[in-house]
Amino acid sequence: MKRNTIDRRTFLQGAGAFAATLPFGRFALAAEPAKPKELIVRVWGGEWKDAIDAGVSQSFAKATGIAIKYDETEDNELQPKLWAAVKQKRRPPVAVNWDTTTNATKSALKKMGEDLSDLPNLKGLLSVAQPLGFEGYPLVNVYSYVYVLAYRTDAFPQGAPKSWKVMLDPKFKGRIALYNDGIGFHPAAQVAGGGKVEDIPKNMKAAWDFIGKLKAQKPLLGEDPDFTNWFQKGEIDLACTIVTNARGAKKNGVKVAWTIPEEGAKVDTDALWIPKGLPANELYWAKQYVNHALSTEAQQGWCDGLGLPGVNPNIKPPADMVGDPAYPTKPEDFKKLLRVPNKIQVENEKEWFGKFKAIMQG
Amino acid sequence: MLLDTLEAVRALLWPRTMRRYSSAVLLLPAIALVLVLVAGLAWMGEASLHLLDTETFDTGEDYTAANYREIGAQSTYWIVLGRSVLGAAIVTLVTLILAFPYAYVMVRTASAWTRKVLLVSLFLPFFIGQVVRAYGWLIILGREGLLNTVFGAVGLGPYKMIYNYPSVLFGLVQYLLPFAVLLIAPAVTAIDEEIELASESLGAHWLRTFRHVTLPMARPGLVAAALVVFTLALTDYAMPVILGGGTNDFIANAVYDAFFRISDSGLGSAVAIVLVLIATALAAVILTVLGAGTLGFSDERR
Repeated sequence: MKRNTIDRRTFLQGAGAFAATLPFGRFALAAEPAKPKELIVRVWGGEWKDAIDAGVSQSFAKATGIAIKYDETEDNELQPKLWAAVKQKRRPPVAVNWDTTTNATKSALKKMGEDLSDLPNLKGLLSVAQPLGFEGYPLVNVYSYVYVLAYRTDAFPQGAPKSWKVMLDPKFKGRIALYNDGIGFHPAAQVAGGGKVEDIPKNMKAAWDFIGKLKAQKPLLGEDPDFTNWFQKGEIDLACTIVTNARGAKKNGVKVAWTIPEEGAKVDTDALWIPKGLPANELYWAKQYVNHALSTEAQQGWCDGLGLPGVNPNIKPPADMVGDPAYPTKPEDFKKLLRVPNKIQVENEKEWFGKFKAIMQG
Repeated sequence: MLLDTLEAVRALLWPRTMRRYSSAVLLLPAIALVLVLVAGLAWMGEASLHLLDTETFDTGEDYTAANYREIGAQSTYWIVLGRSVLGAAIVTLVTLILAFPYAYVMVRTASAWTRKVLLVSLFLPFFIGQVVRAYGWLIILGREGLLNTVFGAVGLGPYKMIYNYPSVLFGLVQYLLPFAVLLIAPAVTAIDEEIELASESLGAHWLRTFRHVTLPMARPGLVAAALVVFTLALTDYAMPVILGGGTNDFIANAVYDAFFRISDSGLGSAVAIVLVLIATALAAVILTVLGAGTLGFSDERR
């Protein structure tokens, strides 16, 4: 009898395989649930919002007629609201959350997200798309990004700095910047301080010593928009930031370039996930949105805007990132990337944050 | 006719027999507000007694004082706390010193034009949010800002005037000055000008009059302003973030970090409770030293 039955996942996969041949490539049920007027997607502002809008949302809205509205609440601030809504079985404030993989992993550990395993476009993605340590897909990673050493070109007439240690040069005192929670810098500091990435998290003395030396350089600590602003206003010469921010500043006419120093640079991922508690029809269309975001067409547009390598292997780097090690394509590029598994990041986030703060606030 | 109708409606909704409860009913919204605050504090107090499990990111069921022990053991919290209290004290002192003459001139000036200018200057900042004002200082004091441009024109600088502790205090003084003036002005208004004139006619120099007559009589306003400015400065979040460059956090920033950056609501609640206790204790010290009577709470003033 089983031979003649079909479970939902198999059906969706089959339908998806068929639907994937269509231009929009969405999976379809026999009768599509009612379309909501709009879907709310949490995003970061600036280049980040522009990129997802141009790459994913506009084509989704055109194909489905569903408008995409954005919630630009900071990811860390939305997180407790989402958790509270799911716990209290209320409708969550957003239908799709664009989140760091570290934050998305925390939400997944709390079982806050819907399983996305039935999305047809998951097939054929790079392995980095799959979250580690979970059954199924409570989140899906959507692209990778590198925390580069961004620098003001005026301050480096001889060319790009070679090492993260340049931040310790006294002439850059008060003119360097890091993220205010130290994110993205730990592995680079570990290697620059003479340690090994493999020793993270057991022995991070090298990283903390290096960060301690940096404290004497009076760094500015901020978030994504601050880096662009600081470069623009001439406040800093060097920063450890996501390549997208440096690229955004450069596009805005700021004399900024970036490099992957000899010690390497941290690579990380961002993710999409859908909080539990959405009405059934909205959940269906939210999944369609995520599925669409993984398609070649949407990934190409989205990642072009961000200047980042997507998880869809069919996309090509944007013209200005071809050959750039911050958009790794060659084996030697990948060798310089420092990766810390998300599980380790999540488990040690509080301790690392506390140590970073102790150094920087001291 | 209209008044009779309104009177009839009032009598129907609130009969004469209920009049004795009128004052209590008028207090209800304030009581409700206080209850909401107390409920929030109670919730945070309870939450502060649970420890975060970083494997599940849920807080544990067991009650523990571990979050408070962590605050006590981590030097960061003591440094940030000390910086906040010291900063609030400096800001209070400087703000009062600047606010008193402003309020005095505003009240005592014979020129209507001067009073209008001072009033407009006082209220204008209220229409501009704290964050916008802080960003305004970045434009003025930044490396490529207005002031450094002027310095550059005469061959000086550039000077680093923002992203440090003094710039945070400067921003707080500018933010809190109007609050202080508004609280001091009624106290100055309440001082009969003839008392000052009497003092001077008896031979007191203006400084002596100021010290022995004006200042003591303006004490209720000064105490109220000191309390408001101190507590607002102590609990401020935006100025340290925008003008502090990330290395001059106040305690409210530590509360934010615990709640939102490391998702530890237990630790965040514990830091918030500590902040409330310290702010309350310091406010109590101010009232004890200067006397609650200065705010008009003593029996003699009834």
